[in-house]
Amino acid sequence: MTKPEPTDGALTVVIVDDHSIFRSGLRADLAGNISVLGEAATVDEAVDLVIGAQPQVVLLDVHLPGGAGGGGAEVIRRAAPHAPSTRFLALSVSDAADDVVTVIRAGARGYITKSSSGSDVSDAARRVRDGDAVFSPRLAGFVLDAFGAVTGETAEASDELDRLSAREQEVMRLIARGYAYKEVAASLFISIKTVETHVSSVLRKLQLSSRHELTAWALARKLL
Amino acid sequence: MDTALMTRPRVRLVGGVCAGFADHTGLPLPLVRTLTVVLSVCGGAGLLMYLWLWVVTPVAGYAADPLKHVLTLPSDDGGADASRRSAPVTEILLGMALLAAAAALVAARLGADVPLDFVIPAIVVLGGAGLAWRQFDDLRQQRSSSSSALVIRALGALILVALGILLFFVTGEEPNVWTVFAASIAVLVGVAIVVAPWVVRLSRDLADERAARVREADRAEIAAHLHDSVLQTLALIQQKADPASEASRLARAQERELRDWLFAGSPGRSVDLADELRRIAAVIEEEYAVRIEVVSAGQSPSAVPDALLGAAREALLNAARHAGGTVSVYLESSPTAVELTITDRGPGFTLDDIPSDRMGVRESILGRMRRIGGTAELAAGPGGAGTEIRLLLPLSHGGHHDEA
Repeated sequence: MTKPEPTDGALTVVIVDDHSIFRSGLRADLAGNISVLGEAATVDEAVDLVIGAQPQVVLLDVHLPGGAGGGGAEVIRRAAPHAPSTRFLALSVSDAADDVVTVIRAGARGYITKSSSGSDVSDAARRVRDGDAVFSPRLAGFVLDAFGAVTGETAEASDELDRLSAREQEVMRLIARGYAYKEVAASLFISIKTVETHVSSVLRKLQLSSRHELTAWALARKLL
Repeated sequence: MDTALMTRPRVRLVGGVCAGFADHTGLPLPLVRTLTVVLSVCGGAGLLMYLWLWVVTPVAGYAADPLKHVLTLPSDDGGADASRRSAPVTEILLGMALLAAAAALVAARLGADVPLDFVIPAIVVLGGAGLAWRQFDDLRQQRSSSSSALVIRALGALILVALGILLFFVTGEEPNVWTVFAASIAVLVGVAIVVAPWVVRLSRDLADERAARVREADRAEIAAHLHDSVLQTLALIQQKADPASEASRLARAQERELRDWLFAGSPGRSVDLADELRRIAAVIEEEYAVRIEVVSAGQSPSAVPDALLGAAREALLNAARHAGGTVSVYLESSPTAVELTITDRGPGFTLDDIPSDRMGVRESILGRMRRIGGTAELAAGPGGAGTEIRLLLPLSHGGHHDEA
């Protein structure tokens, strides 16, 4: 397989999904300057492909056959150590909280639903490549819930992992209402860069926090 | 269906044997009951038959539809329920022992020639059997917990049964090889009779448990399959089709239906505010070219004033009519308040734009919220485009508002 050389600014991705219709559909819909290095349908294929092709971004289905049955999360855990510059964006039809939390905690930089349009997926992939996090409204809602923001818990120190700061809560609330980052920035009178920083910080908390609600799911799936 | 098992109904008078038998054979129930009573009076054959059937026939299961078995979550309350409702065998046996003792005493008092050789062992056997059954029932219900004490008690009761049976023989004339032989056989048979029903039930419990596990696995597999294939395809259709198109709308409606069916919790789960909102959204999506995304955070309350739902429906309809595209609904429920935000990206409007003769927004959203002690705010939507309607309802503790 000859690997197309990524031109400057172009984005290299691989698509991991066990449905060929979905893979080809997504491939056709992605923006023009995104080059697809390959497709994989199972956990094992995906791990080999990611390590072999070293893409910038992996568009990863949460539910995948094969491997030890761990689906998308297993791909991340097995492939990430051998592909240090690759980032993972989870794509799923599932909006069950445990599915989402599982891939995020395994290291995915974002999560979007499969009904998102090709341009949404392209934007999200670019954002993830640039080191930002991608939150769907539903994931933002879940985060507010899981970190106790709904019942008024607010982090006092900036390094606190188990609660969100007031600003992070504001950003998450707007994302939960369907705001794009640009719109969040305009509503809060902050720069887009600042919004991205907040979202990344929330993602970090989501990955590292030991809050009961989060660890319960992780434990149930034997991730810890 | 000639191989159908005879089962006992879950709702029953005594043991459900008559009802089960009538159902199985097609004979009228009153006839079966009368026959049983008549046979019981004539030498106890009916009673023996009843007891035997009671021991060997299982209690009727849940719905007999296998597909339904596969696709519904097994409920745990059924099993416990059945054992709780079963006839009080222990009490009956112990009662019979006490009655026999009392009758023997009274008869002795009255000068009758009481065959104590027979009565005392009979009382001991009945008492032992009753105690043994009680222990077995306890054993069966808490299999997993440490039950060594229960086992010892059950063994004690069995020894009592054995002793009772032996008493029949030691009180007789001088022992010879045959009485010893008969005694040992009798003890074995007696203990077996006491233990058998318990063993039968235990194995039935195990079989039930295994069947429930298989059902659950089947269900999970079907759900996973539907999830992977059908939901994916529906998602793909929505992704490909224009969001406002009929195809997209149908795919979305179907996806929602399937999702509800697959991931719905137990059927008894109460419908909360988020569910209500999703239902309203589904209805509106069917009528208008709009996509409504409902996100809920916090424990959404199950009892909310209808007026809140009414205002939310009106706000959604407004967005569907004037904005279209994607409408976001965000519900945040804290213990003290419910906050609902409906955001669209349409042309946007302010209260001043609305002619006063149009009652829609003014009355059905603002007025409604005011009447139930809440507030409604209209603001510009994301990035200054579109509309954002914010409904806030403080929750008083305990009491619920109702639309007057």
